[in-house]
Amino acid sequence: MFRVGYDASSANQKTPNSCVVTKMTALLEVSNLRTRLNDGQQMLSVVDGLDLTIDKGETVALVGESGSGKSMTALSIMQLLPDPRAVIEGEVRFEGRNLLTLTDRQMRLLRGNELAMIFQDPMTALNPVLTIGTQMTEGLRFHLKLNKKEAVQTAVEWLKRVGISRAEDIIDEYPHQLSGGMCQRVMIAMAMSCEPKLLVADEPTTALDVTIQAQIMDLMQTIRRTWDTSILLITHDLAVVHEIADRVVVMYAGQAVESAPAEDLFQKPLHPYTEGLLGAIPSWETETDRLPVIEGSVPSPGHMHTGCRFAPRCAFAAERCDRQEPQLKELKANHHVRCFLHENKG
Amino acid sequence: MTMAVADPIVDVRRLKKYFPIRTGLWQRTTGYVKAVNGISFTVRKGETLGLVGESGCGKSTAGRTMIRLYKPTEGQIIYKGKDIAHLPESELRTSVRREIQMIFQDPFASLNPRKTLGTILEEPLKVHRQFSTKERQERVVHLLEKVGLKRESIHHYPHEFSGGQRQRVGIARALVLNPSFIIADEPVSALDVSVQAQVINLLKDLQEEYELTYLFISHDLGVIRHVADRVGVMYLGQMMELADKKKIYATPLHPYTQSLMSAIPRVGRHKQRERIILRGEVPSPSDPPQGCVFHTRCPQAFADCKHVRPQLKAYQPGHYVACHLYH
Repeated sequence: MFRVGYDASSANQKTPNSCVVTKMTALLEVSNLRTRLNDGQQMLSVVDGLDLTIDKGETVALVGESGSGKSMTALSIMQLLPDPRAVIEGEVRFEGRNLLTLTDRQMRLLRGNELAMIFQDPMTALNPVLTIGTQMTEGLRFHLKLNKKEAVQTAVEWLKRVGISRAEDIIDEYPHQLSGGMCQRVMIAMAMSCEPKLLVADEPTTALDVTIQAQIMDLMQTIRRTWDTSILLITHDLAVVHEIADRVVVMYAGQAVESAPAEDLFQKPLHPYTEGLLGAIPSWETETDRLPVIEGSVPSPGHMHTGCRFAPRCAFAAERCDRQEPQLKELKANHHVRCFLHENKG
Repeated sequence: MTMAVADPIVDVRRLKKYFPIRTGLWQRTTGYVKAVNGISFTVRKGETLGLVGESGCGKSTAGRTMIRLYKPTEGQIIYKGKDIAHLPESELRTSVRREIQMIFQDPFASLNPRKTLGTILEEPLKVHRQFSTKERQERVVHLLEKVGLKRESIHHYPHEFSGGQRQRVGIARALVLNPSFIIADEPVSALDVSVQAQVINLLKDLQEEYELTYLFISHDLGVIRHVADRVGVMYLGQMMELADKKKIYATPLHPYTQSLMSAIPRVGRHKQRERIILRGEVPSPSDPPQGCVFHTRCPQAFADCKHVRPQLKAYQPGHYVACHLYH
């Protein structure tokens, strides 16, 4: 059903050959993504020219403070922006197909199936008036065309895989009967149940306690190893990133300011903002009396500084930074940075 | 901030706070949430005592009970030699209310959106009938500048400020009556990392300048490590371990503290050390386990732990732990 005018050969079938069209390994290629939202008076640019590539089986982290546009990037990729008047420009290529040119119906066949998302607050992301079972089987029946019995069976299997021991009981329970950590497991089970190729996780552990956070992060690692799922992890927490990401993209005010393999970034951050962020985390290894700070706060969309957006808070800002906007440049293999300080070294 | 052992400013003894669970048409009490279930500790003059634990462990309730926002169910709170646990409101207002102040977590919810900063900051002075109008205004401006805001801010409303700036206002408000003891309940948890560092530094500067004593409540062991002199770890309404910061971070004794420390993702030069992942979740505080409250999740629990509740006792001088492994 619901397959009118849709080429089913590529998206809806889980054969490994379905991605032969793409060049080599890139699963998702975002180029020059621009998202603008309407605030009632004007169009505000929340994501401004973002490039992002995720290979098969890779975990890429999108890091930034609130207002940096990281969640908006995720929602743009999933086309789940809260505002119907939002404008998304650029390209989001998933296995070679540009998601931005798909119709709503085509997108629905992919979302939850090939691309799945987990949200920050599991308590509000689940529907409070439907049982866990109903919510979990909906996608299985729609995407995988399972009958009710098979769907319930698969749901129970997945609940067990994410470490819920009394899965058979939980199927008939409502979200309010479960704790936050349990709900997040259910969300992950639900997202994984159609075995997506890309899992977008928006702050999956932010609302949880540290011991539960450790459990969930462990679970995400297992999922990625077992199913070779690519993960786009959105977070403000650099420590979480350090634990599980292969590559990191640091965002500031709607733009990527630095992008590098995780090891590189943590050992030798190049952008003053990244350096500041890393320095501002209370450290476990060295003890200082005062924490290094980044003065000021993140600018709001619509009030961007001309030139480099970070210049007003940057300790190294020169006169040129106020006039001219630096470009993202590749400095070393795979290490990109948007800053004039490193311009001549490239 | 190293301090010689100083006089206690607050001495909490076997403090309990139970909240009744009311159900049914007549709202009968059918049980109690044992949020704080008999904790004892002292806060020394001039120090920062960090209180850590996961959500629901009772750390915020402990703080709020100490400032008498809640009436304690049992126990004593000895502030400057006087038990304030059961003082009537009228007596509280003349002394304790002025000297103990609180900074709240959410700077968006804790400031009245319909009042200007000037009004918000002046109100405590008016309530306590301090100074003339002109002196009051001078003090407000002085404090705004102290916390890093412009003097013109007195005419602005809270919504015009960012989260970090609002938290600065929250701090200024706590300081306005010139208190000696401040309870800061997750003061930086709602802030971004870069702003968080600014506020932590500000709190430290103010502590030095005004000789303040802090009870710093947080779930973030990284932040606690940075601000505290001593650290208490709470779990399910009980104090599990209490020690100098250096000791507790170098050699955590309690299995819960150990797992808490290992669970936290860190940014450091080395990749992950072995992580202790706790099974299951925190039991409900309305029906805490018999014996040691942690035994249901403890990797090292043995028979005794199920029946006998361990007491918080000194294992080494200044290092207290409530665990059968050590006593």
